[in-house]
This record gives sequence, C-alpha cells and structure tokens, in this order.
Amino acid sequence: MLRKGITESFGAAIHALSASQLTDGVINRSKRMMLDTLGVGLLGTRTAVFNKALKYSQLLTSEHRSSIWGRSEISLPPYYAAFVNGIAVHSMDFDDTWHPATHPSGAVLPALLALVETLPSRPSGLDLLLAFNVGIEVQGRLMRFSREAYNIPERFHPPSVVGVMGSAAASAKLLGLSPSQCRHALAIAASSAGAPLANAATQTKPLHIGNAARRGLEAALLAQIGLEGNPAILDMDSGLGVYYNDYSPSAMPVCASGDFRWILEDQDVAFKRIPAHLAMHWLVDAALEARAELQETAWTFDLSQIQRVTLRVPPSKYINCPLPTTEHQARHSFQFNACSALLDNRVTVASFDQARINRPALKELLSKVQVETPADNQPSFDKMYCEVQIETAQGQSCTARCNTFYGHWRKPLSQEDLVEKFSANASSVLCTEGVEGVIDVVENIEKVTEGSVLGSYLRMTSNTHEQMYLTRIL
Amino acid sequence: MVLDSVGVGLIGSTTEVFEMVLQHCKHMYGPDHVCSVYGRRGVKLSPTLAAFVNGVATHSMDFDDTWHPATHPSGAVLPAVLALSDMMPASRRPSGLDFLLAFNVGIEIQGRLMRFSNEARNIPKRFHPPTVVGPMGSAAACARLLSLDPSQCSHALAIAASLAGAPMANAATQCKPLHIGNASRLGLEAALLASRGLEASPLVLDAVAGVAGFNAFYEDYLPQPLDSPHDGHAFLLEEQDMGFKRFPAHLGMHWVADAAASVHKLLVGVVPGKVSPDQVQDILLRVPLSKYINRPFPESEHEARHSFQFNACSALLDGEVTVQSFTPAAMSRPELHALLSRVRLEHPHDNPANFNLMYGEVQVTLVGGDILRGRCDTFYGHWRNPLTNESLWKKFRSNAEVVLPSEKVERLVEVVDKLDRLGDCRDLLSQLQ
Repeated sequence: MLRKGITESFGAAIHALSASQLTDGVINRSKRMMLDTLGVGLLGTRTAVFNKALKYSQLLTSEHRSSIWGRSEISLPPYYAAFVNGIAVHSMDFDDTWHPATHPSGAVLPALLALVETLPSRPSGLDLLLAFNVGIEVQGRLMRFSREAYNIPERFHPPSVVGVMGSAAASAKLLGLSPSQCRHALAIAASSAGAPLANAATQTKPLHIGNAARRGLEAALLAQIGLEGNPAILDMDSGLGVYYNDYSPSAMPVCASGDFRWILEDQDVAFKRIPAHLAMHWLVDAALEARAELQETAWTFDLSQIQRVTLRVPPSKYINCPLPTTEHQARHSFQFNACSALLDNRVTVASFDQARINRPALKELLSKVQVETPADNQPSFDKMYCEVQIETAQGQSCTARCNTFYGHWRKPLSQEDLVEKFSANASSVLCTEGVEGVIDVVENIEKVTEGSVLGSYLRMTSNTHEQMYLTRIL
Repeated sequence: MVLDSVGVGLIGSTTEVFEMVLQHCKHMYGPDHVCSVYGRRGVKLSPTLAAFVNGVATHSMDFDDTWHPATHPSGAVLPAVLALSDMMPASRRPSGLDFLLAFNVGIEIQGRLMRFSNEARNIPKRFHPPTVVGPMGSAAACARLLSLDPSQCSHALAIAASLAGAPMANAATQCKPLHIGNASRLGLEAALLASRGLEASPLVLDAVAGVAGFNAFYEDYLPQPLDSPHDGHAFLLEEQDMGFKRFPAHLGMHWVADAAASVHKLLVGVVPGKVSPDQVQDILLRVPLSKYINRPFPESEHEARHSFQFNACSALLDGEVTVQSFTPAAMSRPELHALLSRVRLEHPHDNPANFNLMYGEVQVTLVGGDILRGRCDTFYGHWRNPLTNESLWKKFRSNAEVVLPSEKVERLVEVVDKLDRLGDCRDLLSQLQ
C-alpha cells in the first residue's frame, strides 16, 4: 500500500511556516548558531582546502568556454557544459545501457568534450578515445564489485554511483594526472555519488547523468590542484561500499606495456531504438510480434476487439506504471509501451509526445492491461524476457515472447542502423555538414589531430531547425 | 558508443528539461559575480560557487556546530541563504526576519528528516550526515526565501535528494569540508531549479517498496508527515539545543580533551611546571567504538582532528586543545609523539557511539605507579552545558579577527544580535569581507 503525503506535507510546511511562529527561544539559539558559523567560516578562509576550492571556483570565472551541443551561439564554462550536455544525453532515456546495468557513455563523453575544448595541451582524437575508454572501463570494474549491481536497481540509480567515478577517471586521464592524483579524483568523486531511484521516471532523472558528468570533471580538476580525499576510497565499506549491500572490491590489473583486457571487449553495450527504459525494448518487440500474428490469423482485426492484454515481465516497481501522465513516466511504463506498440504498430520518438500520451484510444487500451511477474523472469538485463498475450472478444489468443531485442548486446545494431539512428537524431538540430562531420570525425577519431574539432561540428546548427525537432521514424 | 551518445545528446537538446537547465546555467553564470566570499575583500563569485566556498570554509577545520541527532546543520544552510540574499535585487532583498526564518526552516527540516531513522541517532558509519540532510536543509531554506509554492518546495527537496549522500571514508581527509560546501550549493541549486519548474519525484520522502527515495540513505526508515504549521508550532531547536565547539576538532574529541585537561591539572599540581612524557608510563582512553576517530598516529591536520589519541595527548601536554594545536609545528612535537606511543583504547559497553550518551575517560599511569583519572560526561559547549553568550562571542571574535578588522567584527556581532529587527539584510552581507 502506497504511503502518501509525507513529501507533500513537507512542501506545504516549507511554504507556510511564517515568522509569527518563531519564538524567542528559537530566535536566540539560531542567532548564536549564525554567529558561530560566520566566525568559524571566516577563520576557515585561511585553510589550504578553502584556498583550493576558491582557486578552483575562480577558474570558472575565466574565459574558458565549451560548446553546447546543438547551439551555435552559446558556450558555457566546462563544468556547466558537461552538465547540460549530459542532461541532453539522458533527457529521453535514449542513451546506451550496459551490463551490469548503467548508462556509461552519457556520464563520460560530455565531460571529456567540455574539457578537450579548453585544455592548452590540445588533446588529439586518440587521447579523447583513450580517456573515454578509461571512463567506461572504470565504471565496468566498479559494478563488478557487487552482486547487487547485476540486477535492475532498487536503491541508487547506477549512473549516479559509477557514472561520476567514470567521469572522474576519464577526466583525470585526459588531464594527464599522476597516479596519486587519479586516486584522489576517485575519492573526491565518491563524495558526489549516489542519487535515489525514486527520481527515475521524473524530469530530474536526466540530471543524474548531467551531474555525474560535471561532478566527475570537477573531482578531477580539484585533484589536479592538489585536493585530497581518502586514498582507500574503493577499498573500504565506508567508501564506495556505502552504495551497495554486498561489496567485494578487487584491484585493477597492472597495465604495463603488455595486453590489457578491456571489459568492453567481452561485454558490449546495448543501443536503444526507442527512447524509453531498456526493459521496454523487449516488450515492444514482443507486442509487435503478437500484433502481427493476430493480424495474420484473424480475417478482420481491429483493436477494439482486444479484451485483455497480459504482460509477463520481470519484477521492477519503477517501470510498472499503469497510467502514466508525463513523458518521463511513459518512458518507464511497461503498460504504455505495450499499448503504443499495439495501437500504432511502432514505437518512436514521437510516441512520447503529450498529445499521444493523452489519447483516449490509448487510455482505453491501457485499462485492459494486466501485468504478471513470472518467477522465472529475473530482473536482470542479461536474463530477462518479455511476453505479450493478446486476447480478443472473439476468443482468439496470441502470445509472443522476446528474449533478445534487436539492439541488445547479444544482437547488436548493425553499423548502418546505428548511423541511421544518429543521423535521424542529429538532423533535428544540425545541418547536413554538421551531421556528416560528426560521423566522419568519430569514425576516424584515432587519426584526428585535434579532439576539439568535434565540438565545432556539434555547433553547426541548421538555420531553419535550430529550435524545433523533426520526428522521424526509425 | 561515442557516435550514439552524441546523436542522442543532440536530439535531447530539444527537450524541455534541457532548455530549463540551460537557462539556469546561463543565468547562474552571468558576467557579474555578485556574492561575497567570507573574509576576502572584493572577491565575489556566482551564487552557487559562493555558497560552495563559504560552506567549505565553515567546515574546513571541523569547528562548526553539531546537533543531535548528529549533523552539522548551520554550515549547510547559512552560506546558501547568504548567497541567495546577495543575489536578489535591492528591491527584493529579504529583511533580517525573512533571513532568520529561512535559516530556521533549513535547520528544522534537517532535524525532522534525521528523526525518520534510528540509525541517525548514533555516530555515523555509512553516509556522512551533512551530505544526507544538509542538501535537503539548504533546499528547504532557499525555497522558503524564494517564496516557492508548496509544490515547488516539494520538488526542491526531491531534486536535492538526487544530490545527497557522501561516504564516511572521506571524513578525516581534506575532502570532508567539501561535504558541507556541496550541501549548501547543491541545495541552493535544487531550489533554483525548482523555481524554474523542474520536477522530480513527489514521493521522495515517502517509503515506497522497491523504489528507494530518501530512504536509500538509511537502513531503517520511518517517515512522518510534517504538521501544517499553526500558531504554536514547536521548532525542534526549541527542544534540542545545538553544541558549539571550543576547539576545531570532531565533537567526540571534546570529551577526551576535557577529561585529559583535568588530569593535566592534577599532574601540574604534583610536579609544578610542564608535563613531561617521562613521567607517564601508560595512557588509557575509555571511549566509544568508532573507527574513523580512532587514529593512533595521525599524519595530517584532518586526521588529527579525528583522533581520540591526538586530542587526549595534546590536552594532557598543554592543558587544553586550541586552534594552534593542529599546526604542523605543534603536531610534530617529540613530546607529543612520546605520549602518543603510550596510548591504548578501551571501548566499554556502557559507552555508546552516540553524542547524547557517550563519555570520555582518561586514565594515566605514572612511572611511579600512581594512577590519575579524569572523566567527562558533558563537555562545556555540549547542548546539556551550553556555551554562555560571552564564551560564544569570545570564540567568534577570536576567529573573525584573523581576517576582518575589529570594526567589522563588532558590527557583525551587533547585526546578528539584532537580526530579527533588521530591515534589510544587506547590513549583514556587507560585513562579511
């Protein structure tokens, strides 16, 4: 039974508390607190740590500016560029997903691109590629410290735990920090980790990736100017271990000149074809197949004949949403994605428009959905399946099951389809030269002498489409 | 991966959430730096960065206030409220009373949240409390100062929850002060984002099975609604006072320092003059069990501020622990090291790791065989034995005079004392640097 009203009561109270409720006792005590705090703060301005934080913060007042993807006229200091671009990447839940579960690239790439545009050392494309992979690798390693990480999360949103660590590692790499500094970058980043899952399926979720990117970048920059944290942050249960119920860390192998086995080599990522939570991809494939089967077997078929739709899915509360009202909820709703697939015979970027969410036909279909969580359906992106059973008023029943959707690491997108997804997305804001420039640079990144060239293509907007986006069908 | 990520980001730049955040960053990063940095004449930063650095300053020496259940409440709130006030145009600048109210909302919310968990009552082991409740308090205070509506206030809290939580392992390191700095700035940011319409989970404080919200940070969690305020609403601060520190170290150190100081008095009485390590055979400390404040040979000032052993020995040698006790010169004294090597710890069962219940006992065995004991149940400055106003002002003056001229120091004492009667809080803001 859902407990309601706590958070609501807090919001109301914060709003309504008034000066008339302050008593003398409270006033006196709080004044003492203020005075003491000010004095302590003033004294504290003489410390080394304060001076580092100030030096760091003043850096941000410099002329350093990094590109905002899809905007030709705006630039921001790298910290904020990493923030907003990271948010853009996760804003539609369209970004890559790995196993164990996290969204690895969005936490790392925005930070690196922001950094690469400001470094006097002018990193090459290869430097960028290496740093990127360091950021991915570290995330993969950290997730393997806990069995809990292998399943769909329940407590902390994984990008907020390992994403910031990956961003710190990648940024430290690009900055060329010493081993000790890299260590401290991780320690500092750990104090910026951990956001609760409750904000998934809300407008704030994209900030989890944006924050991971920027706070990891910040951690590396702070480590560069000498800030230190706990050098055993990954070893300790009271370090990174606080984010997990079971925690068993292990060392990274020594990477001398010999071979290094990257996790990405053995474990690929999944790319999404639909801007929705990964689990929806199994469901949509199954729903489309069931629909096709029904259409084939029934002479005349229309959706109003559907009496019941049963979804057999893994147990996971935050993606079980019978009646979503926002796009964020819709992207995290088994029910919504199944019904969209049945209604439209496809699920695309446009399926999550508010108008589409509000459709009476959709709501009607949603009312016919029930969800089951079979015991053999494990909440793991490596093991789950989705089954859709459609039953009609005429007594027909079609069931389809999807074990591995196209785009999953077991059945990766072809290069052609990946580039097509990119082109469709990028053309919503960039002109053709920009779109093709990015494809070209990324394709040949090891040979690119200046990594910052990517940023210049990301700013090549098309005049007519700067502010609106086209909907394209994938 | 890179290609897909870039493409996804480009289309994502057309979303509402992106636009909102972009406006926030542009606005926050305006060319005029408007918010004062403590003690630095002429240095101004953008609001969140000012809150950040001033928060770091506040916790940099572990000298700031401590509450029960355990957290450092003021450092997470005051810098944010100051920065926000500085940021507001003159016509909208809060009065002293508005300021005081917002501050108290920030303290109250932290107190309420900590009472949701039994775990919070003890010395922490997992998450550093200021990083859990601090951002929430800062968000609440700023939401109040911005006069956000109830729904926006709730969202401010929820946005802040996604910025909460740092591990205890970074305590006793140089990174710890950033915990308060970040609490302050991130709470401010959460409120500003909420004011622009950003939305988050409306149930973040409620306990929803299978989807952790704020309870992600606690093992046991039982939330309670906050009653609608009516005349006679009792602020927690009325019932549970604050602890103020007399020297810059973890609160637990204050018990052993007071206990050791009384032994010092006995020693100096026995053999007039300085205390010499040669007199001492053995030092036994009876303290609660808490790993992060048990450090036999601290190597940095940060570790020293979190070391039962160091604080006991300093007080034994010098009769007191002060700001100066943590300078490199003081820390490297051979006499101190000699004493440190003679310390052992015991953790009696009746000495829980809880700031409301613990005690500190120091037992010194002299070379001759005599045993001297000191015990402290409630140090001076603890909420059960609060600092007098005189002592508090003395501490403030001693701190502030290090960076401000005396006229500003006195003006600050005056202004804070009259805060609820101040028409414009600018009088406070202008004295900080």
